[in-house]
Amino acid sequence: MLNHIWLALIVIGILTAAGRDVYDVVQNSYGNGIPWDVRLEDDAAARAPVSQKGGVRTAALSLRKTVQISAAELRRHFPTDTIDGGVSIPAVYMQHEDGKRSLVMDVTGEDVPERFVVMAEALGGGEKLSAQLERKGDGWRMRIDDVSLVYLRKVTNAAFEIAGVAVQIAIGLIGIMALWLGVMRVAEQAGLINHLARLVRPITVRLFPDVPADHPAVGSMIMNISANMLGLGNAATPFGLKAMEELDKLNPKHGVATDAMVTFLALNTSCVTLIPATAIAVRAAAGSPDPAFIIGTSFLASLTATIFAVIISKLLSRVRIWRWERSEAE
Amino acid sequence: MMEVFRVIVSVLSAVAIPALMLFFLAYGAFKKVKVYETAVEGAKEGFEIAVRIIPYLVLMLVSIAVFRASGAMDVFITLVSPITDLFGIPAEALPMAMMRPLSGSGSLGIMTETMQAYGTDSFIGILVSTLYGSTETTFYVLAVYFGAVGIRNTRHALPTGLLADFIAFLAAVFFVGLVL
Repeated sequence: MLNHIWLALIVIGILTAAGRDVYDVVQNSYGNGIPWDVRLEDDAAARAPVSQKGGVRTAALSLRKTVQISAAELRRHFPTDTIDGGVSIPAVYMQHEDGKRSLVMDVTGEDVPERFVVMAEALGGGEKLSAQLERKGDGWRMRIDDVSLVYLRKVTNAAFEIAGVAVQIAIGLIGIMALWLGVMRVAEQAGLINHLARLVRPITVRLFPDVPADHPAVGSMIMNISANMLGLGNAATPFGLKAMEELDKLNPKHGVATDAMVTFLALNTSCVTLIPATAIAVRAAAGSPDPAFIIGTSFLASLTATIFAVIISKLLSRVRIWRWERSEAE
Repeated sequence: MMEVFRVIVSVLSAVAIPALMLFFLAYGAFKKVKVYETAVEGAKEGFEIAVRIIPYLVLMLVSIAVFRASGAMDVFITLVSPITDLFGIPAEALPMAMMRPLSGSGSLGIMTETMQAYGTDSFIGILVSTLYGSTETTFYVLAVYFGAVGIRNTRHALPTGLLADFIAFLAAVFFVGLVL
């Protein structure tokens, strides 16, 4: 199942990206090749020439301006978007020594169309969108470079970026794993983890019938679930991975998940939450008058989910395709 | 009542780690365990596990990132919304429900955006934050935990996790509806 979902996420992702890009080309969603008729207005707040930092002298003259783009122009260029009205975007107007004029728009503003933000990103300008300018009557004619294959490029960038992030996450785990498994080993040698396992025996023999009640896996699982309940994610992961290692020692088929592992992960992913710390922090930051309001609802929702998770894991283990007897070791 | 509970739990979570460390190590020393040597042995194991996870984590996160970057989520939500309507699930919370099992940072972003759009203490705002608080990033947990022991045939783990997430979502809708 994981195999299929994994493959499906990638295939659906790439095909959707390609499909959207083809649609954008067919509809010309970015208005490629159509010049813009715009007006430039002096920025009242800053009439002074923009200072040239770092000795870059590409322009003989540069001034802060505001670009006025009418709703009709936006509709003409972005046929697939809903346009509410015209916009004015802050920009820097540049007159170069060879007589050419260009414009660099700042697309960070609130009312800047989303399309411009995507175009700036796709053209490699980050938050700046560049354009060439020509005089046309009393207004200006603006040309922006063609934009295409936005989603495929996004997919490529995301894949490369996250591959690095994944390694960083694992590297970040090293320290915390080493610390906790070190401390844990001491407790294990002292016989403490066994004591803990015996304490919760009535529950664990029912949840994990295949795991001996005084097995070290039980102690680690209890520690993992307790840490999760308290919202101590940093301590929970090492305990959990230790528990998986111990459970794997009882596993006769290498590479195949046992019933106990699946039940444990069901408990883990749906884990009863006493304090949803991150969600409360985000609510507080978003200006909620009562950020802790969700404690009760989270507790009840996660409790319900945990109970069902255990039942579901037991039931699904009997489904033919997932039956233990049918799962081949490698 | 809720306030007392909150204080107790927040004190517990602050005290738990140092208390646990002190208790484990002191108990070990009391039982005449060679504390430092033993801890170093355990720490080596921790290092190995963390490194062993890398290939599993990279492949899992890349597949999710490709899906997210392509914008396939929007298409998917349009497809499933007629079904979820039958369950009385508000369409505004669907992106959160879909993203939560896939990506921790992605669902954090969606929670923030949704609360900004609908208000932090509206039904939708409470619902998305309850959802974020009450479930885990199932795909990440499976990749890391199974990766640590080299499990490739995960059997019914993913359907169990996703069904549990779905139950959590329904329960969140129910309980939030009850208190509001």
